[in-house]
Amino acid sequence: MDISRKWLSDYVKLDCDDAFLCDKLTMAGIEVEKIEKNSTIPEGVVTAKILSREPHPGSDHLSVCKVTDGSEELQIVCGAPNCDAGKIVPLAKIGTVFHTEEGDFKIKRSKLRGVESCGMMCSEKELGISDDHEGLMIFPEDTALGVALTQLYPGDTRIELEITPNRPDCLSMWGVARDVSCLLSTPAQLPEITVPECDIEVAGLVTVENPELCPRYIGRVIKDVKIGPSPDWLKERLESVGLRSINNVVDVTNFVMLELGQPLHAFDRATLAGGRVVARNARAGEKITLLDGKVIELEPCHLVIADAEKPMALAGIMGGENSGVTDSTTEVLLESAVFKSSHIRSESRSLGVSTDASYRYERGVDFDMAETASLRACQLILEVAGGKLASKAMEVAAERPAEPVINCRFARIRELIGTTVSNERIVDILKKLHLKVENISADSCVVTAPLFRLDLTREADLAEEVARIDGLDKIPMIPVAGKVCHPDSEDAYAPLRTLRDLVIGMGFDECVHYSIVGSASALCDSRFEKSDLIELSNPLSPDNGWMRPGLLGEMLGTVGRNIARGNRDLRLFELDKAFCKNPAKFPEERNELLILMTGRRHPELFSAEGEALCDFYDIKGVVETLLEKLAVTNYRFVAPEKPDARFREGHALVLLLEGKVAGMFGELNGKHANSWRSSAPVFFAQMEVSSLLDAATHVKKSCKALAQFPATTRDIAFVAPETLAHGEVIDFIRKCKAPNFESVRLFDIFVGDDLKKQHKKSMAYSLTFRNRERTLTDTEVNAAMDKLRAKLAAELKVELR
Amino acid sequence: MVTFFTTFKQFFVFLPERFDLKAGFQRKNSMNEIIEAVNRAAENAEAKAAVAADAGALEALRIEYLGRNGLFPELSKKMGTVPPEERKATGTAFNTGRTRIQAALDAAAARLGGAGKQDKDAIDLTLPGRRTAPGHRHPITQLADECVSVFRRMGFVAVDGPEIEDIYHNFDALNTPDDHPSRDPKDTFYFPDGRILRSQTSPVQIRVMETHEPPVRIVAPGRVFRRDTPDATHGMNFHQIEGLSIDKGVSMADLKSVLQTFAWEMFGKDVKIRLRPHFFPFTEPSVEYDFSCVVCGGKGCNVCKNSGYIEIAGAGMVDPNVLKNVGYDPEIWSGYAFGLGLERLAMLRYRIPDLRFLYDNDVRFLEQF
Repeated sequence: MDISRKWLSDYVKLDCDDAFLCDKLTMAGIEVEKIEKNSTIPEGVVTAKILSREPHPGSDHLSVCKVTDGSEELQIVCGAPNCDAGKIVPLAKIGTVFHTEEGDFKIKRSKLRGVESCGMMCSEKELGISDDHEGLMIFPEDTALGVALTQLYPGDTRIELEITPNRPDCLSMWGVARDVSCLLSTPAQLPEITVPECDIEVAGLVTVENPELCPRYIGRVIKDVKIGPSPDWLKERLESVGLRSINNVVDVTNFVMLELGQPLHAFDRATLAGGRVVARNARAGEKITLLDGKVIELEPCHLVIADAEKPMALAGIMGGENSGVTDSTTEVLLESAVFKSSHIRSESRSLGVSTDASYRYERGVDFDMAETASLRACQLILEVAGGKLASKAMEVAAERPAEPVINCRFARIRELIGTTVSNERIVDILKKLHLKVENISADSCVVTAPLFRLDLTREADLAEEVARIDGLDKIPMIPVAGKVCHPDSEDAYAPLRTLRDLVIGMGFDECVHYSIVGSASALCDSRFEKSDLIELSNPLSPDNGWMRPGLLGEMLGTVGRNIARGNRDLRLFELDKAFCKNPAKFPEERNELLILMTGRRHPELFSAEGEALCDFYDIKGVVETLLEKLAVTNYRFVAPEKPDARFREGHALVLLLEGKVAGMFGELNGKHANSWRSSAPVFFAQMEVSSLLDAATHVKKSCKALAQFPATTRDIAFVAPETLAHGEVIDFIRKCKAPNFESVRLFDIFVGDDLKKQHKKSMAYSLTFRNRERTLTDTEVNAAMDKLRAKLAAELKVELR
Repeated sequence: MVTFFTTFKQFFVFLPERFDLKAGFQRKNSMNEIIEAVNRAAENAEAKAAVAADAGALEALRIEYLGRNGLFPELSKKMGTVPPEERKATGTAFNTGRTRIQAALDAAAARLGGAGKQDKDAIDLTLPGRRTAPGHRHPITQLADECVSVFRRMGFVAVDGPEIEDIYHNFDALNTPDDHPSRDPKDTFYFPDGRILRSQTSPVQIRVMETHEPPVRIVAPGRVFRRDTPDATHGMNFHQIEGLSIDKGVSMADLKSVLQTFAWEMFGKDVKIRLRPHFFPFTEPSVEYDFSCVVCGGKGCNVCKNSGYIEIAGAGMVDPNVLKNVGYDPEIWSGYAFGLGLERLAMLRYRIPDLRFLYDNDVRFLEQF
């Protein structure tokens, strides 16, 4: 809401500058969003006296003056006819910046036709005070010198406030004035409202059919008004907060709404069938054309102000096109009503119509203000549009709401705020906020909140009032204290951080994606069908309405985007929530880890090392490292039972933890990469975070003593069928349980052209033998090796070399 | 050679204790055999080096005088025969001679346009190091990690809550009026079963209090959802971190102190904080929590819209109605809660101009963190 400083000072004396006032307001919870000074006088213009005037040697119309602002004497060249010695005039000193339509111009030391000039004396027009450009502006002779003109002509300041929803009472000048008076400790005063007595009763003028939605309606009739332009003061007030003047009666209703916060509506009574109003629900099929030309098909849920026949206004929101005050209006029915805030809110929202009136109604207006505002508007209409009152207040009202009564314990207030604010100060603050404070004892008082402060119902609410008026800066800094968390509480965040650290440590960049995705992105993870997806009712766009079931879809989007931008070497991961509707597959929310790599394995290296592309064993190594770092031992990699469309067939493995599927890794199915401008294969691993963490926490590490006796190694090489897997060889060697066998390591696989033709490959292993009690002899190791070689040749069908 | 000279020098360092100063001076001008040989060798070597035609000739010279079987090692063997009072002078002459020869060789090498000694294994020291490129934490996670660490030091434990949430935990239990605009499907994502995507991390407060007896002290980092079309400052979702502390006798002074500590830890000791009264349905009194602008230091700039302050978080004392909703007696227990946006913090910390950068995941962006 916008307020004008000048207008505000009609109700409360402001002995402070704008910055101070605005700081006070902000720090009291009425946040100043914008300050707009509309003074046209720039800083740097001061009053000065002309000491002497000489003709300019090089010009007929210029004069050379000596001028003082009380502190220094300056020479000014002036073209004005009235720059006579002894006059007190405005002087723009060097450095002053004038903002004009042509742009800014700055006063500089300059030479005019060869004579130095150190400033500029100004006319009223140059200062924007009036259109007078005949000569210099002249001040009375007793004017002090060196006074800033911005002080003499302060202009007005428009202040934009953010009013929080709990403070509808501040949606008016008077409401803000009340808080300001408390903040500045100066009294606030409403103008005196005097309206001629009128006893005329107009039977049936106001009917309320739905008192729940319209708890109070006051109608007054003013006749013989003369519609015309508003007087300057009224126009100026409205314009100072950005409203346009329409005509005198409408301007008064707007003025009073801004002044007191009570929306008003003036009907042209002649347009009302029966000359009366009914607050009722709309009837099926009724329509209304609003003031802004919008046609609304009404439904029974809408509350309207109707005449004897048809709706004339959308209650609390906007008047109808045909019932407003026009130039020909002579008799006005002035509405001042209270409507239920939640009704206005939902109606305004569902119809998409929001006005200054609906804004105030939906936040709640003061039940008591309806009468005051009605009288104030009558007073002003009679003043600016003539006419006379033709009815008393014709009112239909439900019972006045009860004012909340709050027991306020001083100690409790202090306890909540954490300051030592005294009992007296608490009482003082509450009273200055126009609350009723009674039964003041040493411990407590009883506070009754007026109906304009419906936000105050409990002690905590009073604590807030005391805190904000006394000043939140008074709250002291104290050592951080208190009991820490319960001993059995688990930190939910730490294990996720550990996982992220591990993956980042392996050189992967972390990504974060939106979790609301399109169906194509969601379903590119072939583990899921459409029926597994959790769908939003109100997505931002119809194509973007699913919770992602896995992290793959969005990650592939990121890969494609990066490749398109020339970033082809990618090591990316994400750890975040995925969502599934099908409990047979996954819980509704779970954490997933997705690690992806493509492009060069080590682009940071040079020569051949730098050019090598990632392959399957890189992603496998990442998974192995991760498992080792998490101390997961009970895992197995197995071939998928059936092909998984996410992966290239035969190039993927399933991760089993404790026998259960916990993830899968391998090469991305090429169909996903069709549109990418990169031929490098993509590898990724997807893992269930809870399975990983469960497996990790079960393991206890224990230390093994180091072997004291030396090991002996023997190499073995053979030509094997192409189909013989390394894993089979290893398993076989282990199963042989050769005496003193310790470990086996693959050191070469070779497929030459000849071997390839025969569908064979050469494999070479290094075996280590060790006894923990003694040094082994060659003889016993050789014997073990011979046996093993024989078994290998016989059972694995390999040709030993 | 180096080893030799080290010991040689050490030898002379200890010498002066037994050195007859007077005798030394008396013999100043007299030269013994070794000194003469050294000086002669130096002169000869200088002359030969000056006319050496190639690197091979230089290497031969080096071997002749300084090599393992050269003149100087030979002379050093005779050092033992020098009378003690002459040893210092002899040693000095020996070193000077050797330095002169080396200098002559270096000068000749420079003249010949190459090092006196060619290193066959020379490497280009400017080539890039062989390393594993490090990975990078996403700025949002970075901020979440830091926030959690700071609050953990103040006794808060990190907890998690569901992102698909019910109306009760997200709104009702948090004292949000039935017709509050945030419940509107224009602002909050709904599911057909009436549940929603949580619009704030505050429902985690309720879930914790429902299942734990006070005192509690938690932080909950996580994703929250608002129905905003993505632009430079909005997204369909963003991240918050929620804090809650309930105990006996907790006041706004505790809240202020915790938030000030947080500000100092995150942005340094120069940061001032300001609490400003505000309104939230789930706290009373409610405040907004501003940092002095981390860009201009409070002088006023376009980031803080010339106010000198930047709004960081909403906070306040937990509303008595919220406490009642979870079965805590507001007469016994009090506490504070706060919530702040991680994207906003990240954008401030790293001067990220557009929120969409955070969700675009271009590696050139990610690798900056």
